[in-house]
Amino acid sequence: MGMGKRIIAVVGGLLLLASLAAGCTRETGGGGGAARTTLKVGWSSEPDTMNPITTYSSEGQEVLQLIYDKLIEYDTNLKAEPGLAKTWEYSTDGLEITYNLQSGATWHDGQPFTSADVKFTFDMIKEQNFGEYAQWLVDMTGVETPNDSTVILKFSKPQAFNPGLAIPILPEHIWTGMDKLTIRKFANDTPIGTGPFKFGEWSRGETVTLERNPDWWGTQPAVQRIVFVLYGNEDVMAQALRAGDVDILTEVPPTIFDGLTGAENVKAVSLPSFSFHHIGFNVSTSPDSQGNPLLLDPVVRQALSNAVDRDQLVQLALAGHGQPGSVLIPPALGTWQLQIPADQQMNANPDAAKQLLAGAGYKDTNGDGVLESPDGEPLEFRLIAIESTTVDVRAAELFRDAAAVVGIKLDLQTMDENTLGNTVYNTTNPDWDIFVWGWDSGVADPDYMLGIVLCSQIGGNNDIFYCDKKYDALYAEQATTIDEAARKPIVDEMQQMFYDSAAYIVMWYQDKLQAYRTDTWQGWAEIPGGMVYNFTRDNYLHVTPVT
Amino acid sequence: MFRASYLARKGAQLALTLFAVVTFNFLLFRVLPGDPIRLIARAGHLSADEMAQLRATFGLDRPLVVQYGYYLRSLFHGDFGFSITYRRPVSDILAERMVNTAILLGAATVLIVVLGVGIGVIAAARRGSKLDSSSVVTALLFWSLPTFWTGMLLVFLLGVWLHAFPISGITTPGAVYTSTLDRWSDIASHIVLPTITLALVDIGQFVLITRSSLIDVLTEDFILTAKAKGLSRRAVIWKHGVRNALLPVITASALYISLVVGGAIQVETVFSWPGMGRLVYDAVLRRDYPILESCFLIFAVAVILANLASDLMYQVLDPRVREA
Repeated sequence: MGMGKRIIAVVGGLLLLASLAAGCTRETGGGGGAARTTLKVGWSSEPDTMNPITTYSSEGQEVLQLIYDKLIEYDTNLKAEPGLAKTWEYSTDGLEITYNLQSGATWHDGQPFTSADVKFTFDMIKEQNFGEYAQWLVDMTGVETPNDSTVILKFSKPQAFNPGLAIPILPEHIWTGMDKLTIRKFANDTPIGTGPFKFGEWSRGETVTLERNPDWWGTQPAVQRIVFVLYGNEDVMAQALRAGDVDILTEVPPTIFDGLTGAENVKAVSLPSFSFHHIGFNVSTSPDSQGNPLLLDPVVRQALSNAVDRDQLVQLALAGHGQPGSVLIPPALGTWQLQIPADQQMNANPDAAKQLLAGAGYKDTNGDGVLESPDGEPLEFRLIAIESTTVDVRAAELFRDAAAVVGIKLDLQTMDENTLGNTVYNTTNPDWDIFVWGWDSGVADPDYMLGIVLCSQIGGNNDIFYCDKKYDALYAEQATTIDEAARKPIVDEMQQMFYDSAAYIVMWYQDKLQAYRTDTWQGWAEIPGGMVYNFTRDNYLHVTPVT
Repeated sequence: MFRASYLARKGAQLALTLFAVVTFNFLLFRVLPGDPIRLIARAGHLSADEMAQLRATFGLDRPLVVQYGYYLRSLFHGDFGFSITYRRPVSDILAERMVNTAILLGAATVLIVVLGVGIGVIAAARRGSKLDSSSVVTALLFWSLPTFWTGMLLVFLLGVWLHAFPISGITTPGAVYTSTLDRWSDIASHIVLPTITLALVDIGQFVLITRSSLIDVLTEDFILTAKAKGLSRRAVIWKHGVRNALLPVITASALYISLVVGGAIQVETVFSWPGMGRLVYDAVLRRDYPILESCFLIFAVAVILANLASDLMYQVLDPRVREA
């Protein structure tokens, strides 16, 4: 036998051995046979840390919301339901909230849960000023614990958004004594909470495993184990769902979604989301700003808003998986979103755009197709977008073409996300004109989105340097109006005001695209914002095995 | 065997190179526009105050020279720093990822070198035949295939269609093992597809290097002498031919090993293999300076050591190269 044939035989033999090894049935502890017990979730990004105070990733929050309870949780209608607080009531002046806690709740390490843990958590966050959570405790003046199962939070102003919805409760006996720097570097490798699931294992770069907590104070879920599986590649992830390697995917890109709609035993679901993508204008009035001052004229921005056809953007850039944008509040927030009648919207109306510009004195004096201001400055602006967000790049191109029709020239440049972020958020001398980017809401309440463009958020979230004292005053009012019926008109006024300024052009509210297997777990409630990877964890608690 | 002055000179060169690499790495990433805190802030919905505090925690608000000083000092103590994205010591992160990369690339390197050299030898021995030309063409063909595409092709052919091998990860998620052997066989089944992908795209260079080197050697006079002495064809080719033709192959192997320490990022992405390649790619996007500095330092050290090893091997194997 020649050398070549020998080599082929050896290699072939090795492959055969390997495939035999692969072919052996892999016991996955709860997959088939007896009633299903393991739920497998597929995602394409993994948590950054198990520390609930310092985690900045949605994946981290998805896992930790199952390990740690809050005082109040969101149910499948995104309304408040009991968490560690059985009941809660506001005082008559609205300045105090009294929470009556669950009895008999314990931490995962066996220690009893008491009101002291709640006091410790709120005091620590307020004192150490941990940004993501401290923003809800700005007006908090104190925490009282009259007994082991009652907590009273005191505020200097009424709180429209109940902070019990946002803050995970931490065990005092583990977190006490750590100063701020230590907490920031604390990995919390074995997180201890009171939640329905205990931390099992984190095999970094591969899986996160959670085990059901048999001593949880609530109804025991049917799921006994959750495994979050990381995929480096979304095509392979979709393939894994088709093959049954996972039961549900947290997020499906639009191109893959269309392929999954007809797949066997798979249901692809499209839900309204808490997110939007927008065009932002540099409206900084600082003398050091390098942004084009022509953008400070609201007429220019309104003209551009009129020039854009948002329906077309959704169809061409998003392959139809979204709704045309208008106001700051996304549709998943239900009745909070202001519905502006179509004929009053600045949308898909290039004629109105041209009229606005002509009425303000912008003319094309040299016949090059680009309008000039009365001072002779051309309406030419720099447009930046994130190159890896293909929908944004496509939208930017369509925007550029739409602007050219009304006589405004846009020069498009793409860059990576970190560079764009640094360019936009340069508070000393922002050197940009227009960008394309997006936002997700931090909580299931309009407060977050409305609070992005406050004067006080310049240097924080405010990515366009928008500052309007009247808007800020309205924000302060709605944040302290507990009665929803009284709060709605203020929220509406703010949305209309910001829409009229056209400082953002909200292009679309993208749909949340997810997919799950219909033959493994059932009872998935299709909630705005997603069945999983959302503000509520209730789907994990309610699904039952398909028999 | 080696003169002390030679080793001392090499050692000094190594130290100088490392110092230059460390400094260059440090500056290179901080020159990039963007910083690690900005994107964390937007995703995590942080306030300006919180961002300033985060910057202070990671020492990013200090002047560049001061940061450099701190970096050098901790490096001397063997401290690779604290990751900004993961908030863990970088050495822990590297240890995990290196093991995963080592498993995959160990398997791939062995396969590539053994098969590549083997095919190259056969091609050179039967130079001019159909086997030779088809080996060369196939090697070139595979070498020019994009890694990502080859990987996806194997995923669909062998993973999905034939269902012969798992298509992602190192182990089956949620698997319960009955023994260590059981665990290793699970890992083995997961290594197959990524290894084959790497082997297909990288084997070409070894085939061609071996082939051309051996063809060169086979034209030497001593080969003629060996044949004249009556040695068998196998002895002539292997004992006298291949042995002398191995030097370029050794260099190529040393360099290949040092390059693959960087992880095979495309393969890791396609097969969700948690190795160094993905770590570095994510770290670049997030500007996680500690991870980037440490990783690139390791890559540089690997390349330097590989070069050194290759140099020394030449000294050992080829008497003509030893210094007078």
